[in-house]
Amino acid sequence: MAERFNEVVLPHLGDALALARWLTGNAADAEDVVQDACIKAHAGIAGYAGGNSRAWLLTIVRNTSYTWMSRNRPRSIMAVGDLGDLDDMAAAHGTSLPDEDGPEASLIAKADTAALEAAIAALPQPFRETLVLRDINGLSYREISAMLGVAMGTVMSRLARARNLLMSELGSAP
Amino acid sequence: MSDDGLPNDAKGIKLMIHALIDGELDAAAALALERRIAADPALAAEHARIVALRAAVTRLPRPDVSDAFRARIAALGATATAQPAQDEPERDELVEPRPGIPSARQDQPRGDQLRGTTRRDAQTRPSQTRALPRARRFGSFDWRAMAASIMISAVLASGATQWVMFNSASDGFAAAVASGHRRSLLAASPIDIVSSDRHTVKPWLDARIGVSPPAPDLAQDGFALIGGRVEVISGRPVPALVYRHREHLITLVAEPQQGGSTTAPEDLSSGGFSMVHWSDGAFSYWAISDMERPELDDFVARFRKAAV
Repeated sequence: MAERFNEVVLPHLGDALALARWLTGNAADAEDVVQDACIKAHAGIAGYAGGNSRAWLLTIVRNTSYTWMSRNRPRSIMAVGDLGDLDDMAAAHGTSLPDEDGPEASLIAKADTAALEAAIAALPQPFRETLVLRDINGLSYREISAMLGVAMGTVMSRLARARNLLMSELGSAP
Repeated sequence: MSDDGLPNDAKGIKLMIHALIDGELDAAAALALERRIAADPALAAEHARIVALRAAVTRLPRPDVSDAFRARIAALGATATAQPAQDEPERDELVEPRPGIPSARQDQPRGDQLRGTTRRDAQTRPSQTRALPRARRFGSFDWRAMAASIMISAVLASGATQWVMFNSASDGFAAAVASGHRRSLLAASPIDIVSSDRHTVKPWLDARIGVSPPAPDLAQDGFALIGGRVEVISGRPVPALVYRHREHLITLVAEPQQGGSTTAPEDLSSGGFSMVHWSDGAFSYWAISDMERPELDDFVARFRKAAV
């Protein structure tokens, strides 16, 4: 059992910390969350039936992050608003590209780390988590769709919207 | 309007560009979309923007997994197993030494659980295994006392299959086979050609790399052939067959030999995987799986018998 835990969980601690860091907003909280998540993973290791162990662990990390935040930061959860707002907000961005000229690719490529991190942190939570799961944790659309319990099309549109928001943010910054 | 099966609205085509960059499109759709992008400067600019953004996000510094943190998590696995939780598996219950057990006796189950170095370490420090005050957020078990030895266990047992195998006598080939197997477990599919029919798998491998190892179907023996893939090891493509035994996958890499000798199965297991290597003169075989060793031996015996 201990070996299985080491095989399944330990290789993905970096990914787990990265996800928790982006969901909670800071690295110190991420360690607490990942530690809690690993305790749950250990208790539930028998339920891991093979397959992508990273996706399995990250699902636990995500759930633990939201439990942790609802306990420690109830206000930040409220700030997300409901999904109706989200779609309105996103629609405004969805139509602005690419007909209107987006920023040059070279401008995005030159964006500095701090600006990019701030832009990601400022994303509405459903967009942020989709972007992080895809571009930082490297999960496939199908895995993200299973983890979030949303359709593939929703994953795709959230990802596109997240990236559009980042691109216009980075493109407008001097 | 073109008739290439792609969406014709701007929004739909944009989602497709994201999917293309994320490697989510099949070859036909990718080809059609690449043609569209080549013909349309606006789409090309969007494509370039997304590629640039993805690269920038990928470059972001990732949080360090500190040694202390890794040791803490590894200790979680070891300690909690040694002392199964009585109640619900919540934070403190899992890691707290149970009250009422004399401290001198606490060493024994842990030492046994962690084996070898840990046992020695734990026993040489009986005074430190006494629980620290309960004040610490993450319970009070003595991970510090065991940190050094646990680090060793953690490094050996976790992602270090490669490390162990690189340092063994059987060179980097075994390590590459092991990483290929591990990667296949993480991939969307562990096989490139899905078929339980060896008459499909063998020609597929033959067409791709001109090599086709014996691929007996051992379904009646409980080892079903589920497909094959190509591994690239030491810069050369080699065929790999994938068998399933209950919920376990077995990767069997067959490296062609030229005038090779016949060798008996040799155990190269480490790091949580069982691995066996043998040769039959025509191929050098490497079988790897997360099954127990005796089960893998059983597979190897049946395969050798059927492949003659």
